[in-house]
Amino acid sequence: MPTGALPVAAVAITDSLKRRVAGSFIIAVLLTVFLGISSWRGARVAANDADWVAHTYAVMDAIELTTMHVIELETSARSFALTGQDRLLAHYETTKSTAVQEEDTLRHLTADNPNEGRLLDVLEPQVRAALEFAASLIAKRRQTHAVLSADEILETERLMDAVRGTTQKMHAEEMRLLSQRTPRTEAGRRLTSRIIIVGIFVGAGLLGLAWFAVDREIEVSARAQRQIVTLNAELEQRVEQRTAALEYEIVERKQIEEELRKFRDELELRVLERTAQLETVNQELEAFSYSVSHDLRAPLRHISGFSRMLTEEFGSTLDPIAQRYVERMQRGTQEMGLLVDELLNLARVGRHALSLRPTGLNSIVAEVIAILEPDGEGRQVKWLISDLPAVECDPVLVKQIFQNLLANALKFTRPRSGAIIEVSHKQEGGQAVFTVRDNGIGFSMKYVDKLFGVFQRLHSADEFEGTGIGLVTVQRIVHKHGGRVWAEGEADKGAAFYFTLGGEKQMESNNKAAGAGGQS
Amino acid sequence: MNSDKLDILLVEDNQDDMELALHALRREKLANNIFVARDGEQALDFLFCRGEFTQRSFDHPPKLVLLDLKLPKVDGMEVLKQVKADPRTRTIPVVIMTSSKEERDLVSGYNLGANSYIQKPVDFDQFRDTVKTVGLYWLITNQPPPLAEGFRHLDALAHDHDRQ
Repeated sequence: MPTGALPVAAVAITDSLKRRVAGSFIIAVLLTVFLGISSWRGARVAANDADWVAHTYAVMDAIELTTMHVIELETSARSFALTGQDRLLAHYETTKSTAVQEEDTLRHLTADNPNEGRLLDVLEPQVRAALEFAASLIAKRRQTHAVLSADEILETERLMDAVRGTTQKMHAEEMRLLSQRTPRTEAGRRLTSRIIIVGIFVGAGLLGLAWFAVDREIEVSARAQRQIVTLNAELEQRVEQRTAALEYEIVERKQIEEELRKFRDELELRVLERTAQLETVNQELEAFSYSVSHDLRAPLRHISGFSRMLTEEFGSTLDPIAQRYVERMQRGTQEMGLLVDELLNLARVGRHALSLRPTGLNSIVAEVIAILEPDGEGRQVKWLISDLPAVECDPVLVKQIFQNLLANALKFTRPRSGAIIEVSHKQEGGQAVFTVRDNGIGFSMKYVDKLFGVFQRLHSADEFEGTGIGLVTVQRIVHKHGGRVWAEGEADKGAAFYFTLGGEKQMESNNKAAGAGGQS
Repeated sequence: MNSDKLDILLVEDNQDDMELALHALRREKLANNIFVARDGEQALDFLFCRGEFTQRSFDHPPKLVLLDLKLPKVDGMEVLKQVKADPRTRTIPVVIMTSSKEERDLVSGYNLGANSYIQKPVDFDQFRDTVKTVGLYWLITNQPPPLAEGFRHLDALAHDHDRQ
């Protein structure tokens, strides 16, 4: 079927398409996951960096605040020491505790940075010294009410500068960290952006490729589908054409059948007519042969009878020549009687309906030899009869075969001092072939065609009596059985007559016996 | 001819055949008590003691009937049929002697109860031999049924049959 190729191609296309599309999508999914992870990581790094920047600012704030509080406390203490006004110490205690708190905060914030820790270690005693000095100033004023000396002011300034110097270093350290952290954050952000952009482009490209592939496959399958549709249409058209042709053929055949039926009916009618005609002809023939049998033989009998009576009763008064004439008449009537009998017999064989039954041929041959006994009287005749099989045949007719063949053999061996007549059989091509052979005068093979012709004789009536009907009768009987008959001979050596009776009509059990006989 | 002591009824229409048969029988001294019927009807009249043969009696049937088949008026088969169908004549030996050797004649002849079937040979010597053999056999060799007793008995039976 030509349509069978299409689904196979479609399946192949679908498979390759599926593989390609699946591949593209797996790559796209992997890319998306990769992009997601990259973005997430970028965001996390950025957040971390931002935290650190905020931390730096917080540290810087704390440094500022600490510095500011220390300065404020120093200022308050100095002012009190100068004026002795308690009002000026209004915020002194709270600021002092706040400054200590700020210092703790700062230590906490800078715990990760050993540089800052070292600076803080420097700052802490500086701050404490400044605060203790401020406290001593306040206490001294309360006790002495003395005004602040210039040395003391200078000492304050020195302490303050020390604190300021340290905090400035710390600030510078934080600024360094900040300047270090900011570009790193920037680079991470840029990398993430680039990865995302590249990923988007690659993803879009892959999707585009996938779309292209799918589109192409869709186009291919659409083309295949269109082809299928076209082919289907063609097929349908062809089917329709074929159907139409077949319908036409059916109609034609029906017509032919009708005609044939008519012919057959006519033929049957004609066969019936012919059969009736043939039956009529057959009946006429039968009537004819009946009347021949009855009416033709009667006058012969009369001639024979009265001529005989003539010689017997008036023989003494008859001239010898007249006597010889009468004898000739008698011989003539005998011959004609024989002829009529054999012709009648031949006709009877033709009309005789075959009545087949298993028949032992040896008994038939024995019967025939017994009948022929008188003809061989006074002669030396050797009968060689081998074991013959039983055969499905018409015994009445088969007896006539042997009667004719054995009578011939006996007749044509008459010149031999020792006649040998042989009846045998052999198995040939699944058929039993029967043979009647004699060592008589034989015949030349150039006359073999004349043997089975009606009234054909190879010898003069003076040598061997006969009518030339015997072998025709044999042939007719053999043909009636569906068999074959043929002869072989050599002048002055002998003759052999062969016949079959239709091989397939032989009996099963005897086939075996015949087969065994044929092999030995 | 004394029909009471009849040996043979020859049923033969042909003059020549009749003469030849009589010649053959005479030669064997078998033709002393012979009657020749020239057609089937006459043969039946003779056998059933009617027509010109009313004076005849069933007590003296022929010892042998030689019957030709091809006969004028009533043919041989019909004669045979009637003879063998009637208990009064059934036991009379009937030998068909004819020119025909047709199978159907043989078959129907025997079916109707013929005692023998002979084809007349063309050769006169053979014919004579045949006639001699048949005559001697049926008239001398063969033992006929006890006719007188048998017929009376059969007569009674037949009359009983008629009354019914």
